Amino acid sequence: MLVGASWMLDLRLLGINRRVPLSAYRWVFPAVSIGLLVNVVTGVMLFIKNATKWGTATPFLVKMLLVIASVAVLVPLRSHVLRNDAGTEVSGNLRLLAIVSILAWTGAVTAGRLLAYLVP
Amino acid sequence: MNLAHLHLVMNHVPTLGAVVALGLLLLAFIRRNEHLKHVGLEVLFVIAVLTLPVYVSGVAAYYEIRERPDVSVDNINIHQDAALIGFTVMEFAGFVGWVALWQTRRRGHSARGVVPAATVLLVVALAIMGRAANLGGDIRHPEIRAAGAAAPAEGDPERFITSAIKEVAVYSTWVWPAAEAVHFLGLCLSFGVLLAVNLRILGVKRQTAFADVHRLLPWGMLGFVANFITGMFFFVGQPGQYVASAPFYWKTVFLMIAGANFLYLTVFGKAWRHTEDGDGGFEASLADKAMAVSSLVAWLAVLYAGRMLPFLGKAF
Repeated sequence: MLVGASWMLDLRLLGINRRVPLSAYRWVFPAVSIGLLVNVVTGVMLFIKNATKWGTATPFLVKMLLVIASVAVLVPLRSHVLRNDAGTEVSGNLRLLAIVSILAWTGAVTAGRLLAYLVP
Repeated sequence: MNLAHLHLVMNHVPTLGAVVALGLLLLAFIRRNEHLKHVGLEVLFVIAVLTLPVYVSGVAAYYEIRERPDVSVDNINIHQDAALIGFTVMEFAGFVGWVALWQTRRRGHSARGVVPAATVLLVVALAIMGRAANLGGDIRHPEIRAAGAAAPAEGDPERFITSAIKEVAVYSTWVWPAAEAVHFLGLCLSFGVLLAVNLRILGVKRQTAFADVHRLLPWGMLGFVANFITGMFFFVGQPGQYVASAPFYWKTVFLMIAGANFLYLTVFGKAWRHTEDGDGGFEASLADKAMAVSSLVAWLAVLYAGRMLPFLGKAF
């Protein structure tokens, strides 16, 4: 929900469905917030079960950095989307942020999945 | 009824279903009837979806009967290899059929060559599935072999496709984790698209035309294809983890529901009238909203069952 909804916005910024106004993508942010809330709560619970193990595992820290980066990228994207009512134009900077967002989420999911294999 | 029984009941679906779909498509070509073509493609999609439980229950049946003294494991393996190839081609045909349906919904017609390609793939799938079915009959029905004919040719256990896939799954250190990562990325993409489409039906972002969320479906399909390929790799690679696993069977059941939902979203016509004049404003009926909710619930159930495989089942 978190990643998928972010990607939908990123795809739009990269030119998929270019003629749809950005304001039609406001639903993404509540969806992202709910997904993020659920993930943070359950993630913290999983973390405290074995905090010393995860807190010292490099792949886990990499994953956390990527998650923080992904969420951080959403902040400027959000303010842009909320500011523009009927705008369909997307600047080069926003496209760059969209690419960063896609890659950061991809990295975060991949790192998260590989934790099971890299951290014994 | 056990899973071997379920396999015996369902194993006629791919061959007979393919004959029906092929008949409809051929008739549509002869009569130049677009509507009939549409129906043929829809039937093809449904058959492709239903071929999954046939394959999965077949592997479960293998685990149930392989200990029996009167069953040749080699015969089963030969059948299984043929079934795997037939299954693959059938899914390909179903995928191309889906592309044709999506294009038809979007532009009123599919791109040239897409429907013929689906038809040709379907013919190939039918031929391979027919052979697989015949080989499957050999496992337990000595009476159907021609009089005096020897038992079916022995396969070389080293050269079965399924064995080769198992070998990669078990001995490669990186293929399985990499496939897991792709599997998770694919589900994010699929779920994001389904969220966008189903929220639109439920009335969120009403000003968006339905055509604009329909436009996203191929992205959802891309995620699903990645998941289907990696998921089948897990299943073929380590079937023992899944065949006796309750969450795996729930996952398969909910995938069937989700597949039906996806077809519904692809061909969903009601919303399109409103898009010609460029504005959104399409209001879904209660039935459509129920369909959207069931689509999201089915996918959540697939995700939940999949995530529970290691905990309620015994996969890792």
